[in-house]
Amino acid sequence: MFLNSVVLVLQEALEAALLISVLLVFSKHYQIKPRWVLVSIGLGSMGALIFALNMALVSEWFDYVGQEVINALIQFSILFLLGLLVLSLSINNPFIKPNTNVIKSNLWIMVCMILLVCLAITREGSEIFIYIGGVINQPSYAQPTLAGSGIGAGIGISAGVLIYYGLLGVTRNKVTAISLSLLSLVGGNMASQAVLLLTQADWLPYSQILWDSSAQIPENSVIGHLLYALIGYEATPSLFQFSAYLGGISLILIFWLLGKLIDVPSTMALDAENTGY
Amino acid sequence: MRSTRVFLIVAILATLTLFNFLAALQGYNSSLNEAEKLFDNQLLDTTKLISSLHPSQHKNSLTHLNDMAYQIWHHNKLLGASSNVQKEPITALHPGFGYANFNGYRWRTLVYFDELQDRWIITAERTDLRFSLAENVIIKAVLPILLGIPLIGFLIWFIVSQGLKPLRDLSDQLKNKQVNDLSPIELPDPQKELEHVIYSINSLIKRLGEALEREKRFTADAAHELRTPISALKIQLHNLKNDPTSGEETFLQLQSGVERMQHLVEQLLSLYRSTPSEFSNNFTPINLYQLAQEVIAEQHLSFEQKHQSLELTGTESLINGDLFSLQTLMQNLLSNANKYTPNNGTIKVSVSNLSQQLDDTPKVYLKIEDSGIGIDPTDYHKIYERFQRLNKKDVAATPGCGLGLTIVRHIVELHGGSIHISPSSFPSGTTFTVLFDGLNK
Repeated sequence: MFLNSVVLVLQEALEAALLISVLLVFSKHYQIKPRWVLVSIGLGSMGALIFALNMALVSEWFDYVGQEVINALIQFSILFLLGLLVLSLSINNPFIKPNTNVIKSNLWIMVCMILLVCLAITREGSEIFIYIGGVINQPSYAQPTLAGSGIGAGIGISAGVLIYYGLLGVTRNKVTAISLSLLSLVGGNMASQAVLLLTQADWLPYSQILWDSSAQIPENSVIGHLLYALIGYEATPSLFQFSAYLGGISLILIFWLLGKLIDVPSTMALDAENTGY
Repeated sequence: MRSTRVFLIVAILATLTLFNFLAALQGYNSSLNEAEKLFDNQLLDTTKLISSLHPSQHKNSLTHLNDMAYQIWHHNKLLGASSNVQKEPITALHPGFGYANFNGYRWRTLVYFDELQDRWIITAERTDLRFSLAENVIIKAVLPILLGIPLIGFLIWFIVSQGLKPLRDLSDQLKNKQVNDLSPIELPDPQKELEHVIYSINSLIKRLGEALEREKRFTADAAHELRTPISALKIQLHNLKNDPTSGEETFLQLQSGVERMQHLVEQLLSLYRSTPSEFSNNFTPINLYQLAQEVIAEQHLSFEQKHQSLELTGTESLINGDLFSLQTLMQNLLSNANKYTPNNGTIKVSVSNLSQQLDDTPKVYLKIEDSGIGIDPTDYHKIYERFQRLNKKDVAATPGCGLGLTIVRHIVELHGGSIHISPSSFPSGTTFTVLFDGLNK
């Protein structure tokens, strides 16, 4: 129970912590106050609790594949929001385009970040709530489950904190490239997970397995779980999953490049000056 | 703005948590493996014990086991077994440890062959119970690491806060300083790392105070110096108005007053230009000997009027310098020599390369020696101060504003040189020696 709890909570916490760390670094560079994180964590936790409490009802939707479909929908929403966020970050990059309407763009970027983290925590938090809720009622499992969850959450959050400070220490030229790479991996991970869920729900057909690395890195090993959280590792990815993974990464990178090509209208820059920002 | 305290607390706590928890996980895995070995050894001992018991004793002591099972086989015949197993062998009769599934559980099995009695003993333990027992023991060891994190966090917060307290005190002192408070910062028993910072801040405050004081004095002195010729001019204008017949004499006095004021303003301008913040560095190679010739030629008339003998000796001496500033330097030194040397006195100017002695940089010196009134060695430290005029009868009678030598020293410093003052080789008088870094020809 202990190890299962560690692995499950670590995987979910690390995924969320990685996303939050990278977004916090971006918000720091775009001079957005970090209070949005508290708002999104609060909203996300509430969402997770509500989602977990109604899981029985949700599961009955869409011919009893509601959980998979809704989770896949959340994953796609996260991917879509990531794309929009990256586009917005790229258009309003203060290092490249200093005459940007800071207040308007930052408000939109902040809303995007809140929604992203809120959705991610809702999905990942609900899984933790369901798991802990399921085992906590058995007294002999309570202690190992809580201890394992604590250790998993501690490792995930600590890794997130260190990633955040590590990224802050990187020079401005490199931090955008590293953060963008991490966000694109998160995007690829989301697309791949969504496709897997839809396949499990029979909404997508099974496709051929591209390779099997379960002998080298089993999915249920600690390293397997860590790699899953960081780069969306699958030991036996299907063709659809792998394509979705590459598609997710490409989407984020294309949105970034697209944003760099869009010029900020000079009137917006003037507005910014007039508003005193 | 990033808080150092928050950064230190969060980063240290995150690092400790990460490595402690990873170590706890590693410890959990290792302990579980050790517990597995321990349970296997225990199973082996139990198996040997069963093997040594007489079949009649089995029924009394081992029949009603729940978390354990055993079978004793002899030539495919079941001699004895616990009540929780079927009549079939639990597992294949190959000696060693293994796993089997029965009664809805997974079991750890041991097949043991007793050669003396020609019997097979199979023993089995429920893996979930073994695991649960081991895990409960290990969790007891892991829990303090988990529960200790808030305490560690509190301790880190306390230690970091204590460590940064002097920095906070320093910051508070600086923040609470009044605009005109230039007293030094004082921290009781400062840390070694902060000592240097406090020393630097205090030095800065001291220099700032001195500079402010100097500026105040300068403004007052400049105002005073400007007021004196203006007052004289006003009196002379008044005289001219009241007595138009004194035209020629008053005109000459007025002209002298205006010239004096012009000189003062020019000196003020030179002083301003020779301050490091305003100095426009336009260094070119300059032959100091040739420059001395030119300046002497310009000022020759002043020396002739007083029938002074002026000698220039030396050789071509190249330095890297600003032409305008060096001209001002020479004009001021020669003007002083001219003013403070009586009629028929002697002034010697020499410019030459100094033989290389201490290092590779060649030196060039400019020496101006006069047979004038001289300066008391006790006053040497005063003469470079602004508006400083020595309290001597002859000095007071000579026109001047007391800025010349201040400007000279500024210019020397801007050229990285040094200036020295000493008595002259004449019975009375002063020698000014200026030393510059020369240029290799």
